[in-house]
Amino acid sequence: MAEVITITSGKGGVGKSTATANIAVGLAQKGKKVVAIDFDIGLRNLDMILGLENRIVYDVVDVMEGRCNLSQALINDKKTKNLYFLPASQSKDKNILDKEKVRNLVENLKKDFDYILLDSPAGIESGFEHAIFWADRALVIVTPEVSSVRDSDRVIGIIDAKSDKAKNGSEVQKHIIINRLKPDLIAKGEMLSNEDVLNILALPLIGLVPEDNKVVSATNSGEPVIYGNSPSGQAYKRIVNRLLGEKIAFPEFKSQNGFLSVFKRLFQ
Amino acid sequence: MNLLAKWFGNNGSAKSAKDRLKIVLAHERSVKLPYMEDMKREILEVVQKYTHATKIDIKADSNQNIDTLEVEIILGK
Repeated sequence: MAEVITITSGKGGVGKSTATANIAVGLAQKGKKVVAIDFDIGLRNLDMILGLENRIVYDVVDVMEGRCNLSQALINDKKTKNLYFLPASQSKDKNILDKEKVRNLVENLKKDFDYILLDSPAGIESGFEHAIFWADRALVIVTPEVSSVRDSDRVIGIIDAKSDKAKNGSEVQKHIIINRLKPDLIAKGEMLSNEDVLNILALPLIGLVPEDNKVVSATNSGEPVIYGNSPSGQAYKRIVNRLLGEKIAFPEFKSQNGFLSVFKRLFQ
Repeated sequence: MNLLAKWFGNNGSAKSAKDRLKIVLAHERSVKLPYMEDMKREILEVVQKYTHATKIDIKADSNQNIDTLEVEIILGK
């Protein structure tokens, strides 16, 4: 049975599209049939991260408005053949989405795919509610910063209040991905640790992704980090395995600055 | 700040981030109930019928799983 997973966050710029791209590739590599949809109407990001920007003819709104067939708009990934992509519309009207049309689209995709990943816009942007409405599961991306944590809390509340599942008395499964952890700063007490963030948000964790310069070059070249073996690539592989139901321990990211931590232990 | 204290102490900015977040979220999670003022007035009327209380405080709060209503009544002498 197809599962609808929405990747969302309170604040912009925390790595939603990067996470969507990597998780989509990872699930497809595991043999699942995956479609990733960019729901950030008016903007477009996921196509660049996946390296598919040259192949776009139709977008998600064209499909919903019946201007083309679903199969015409779906773009097959160049490297991972189980992965398909549906780009965001660059329409200026952000309120163009309609709940029933989104439902039709999702129901149609459910027939052909194992996983439907929705890359949501941040917070309470229009489009956000459409991206969470039909979700079975929500992955909330948080960075260890006050603004991101605070806005995530708000978004979690909205998911609980406004999703279709919530309206029917059940619940969207929610998980936290903490992105851009900097072990050095955490060791010095200068950055919220994963425990701090989880303590405040009170939701189960599904991924810890360390800050990794590889993400920048991966985005530049349109090849998600999960294809490589960098720390963030490995982190996304673990997230994919957890999504598939495997129990995988969360590694502790060591501070690069070994000298300091040795001293710290000596003096405590 | 003393460099040693900075290195070895537990007074990095993460702690203040945590404390500030707790306060701001406690505030934001509070539920706004449309009938709050009416309910407050009616509870006060009932309480006043039996006691000398002149003021009650009602606080609605919500975290992920549970909504609570906290009523504080100070009974007059």
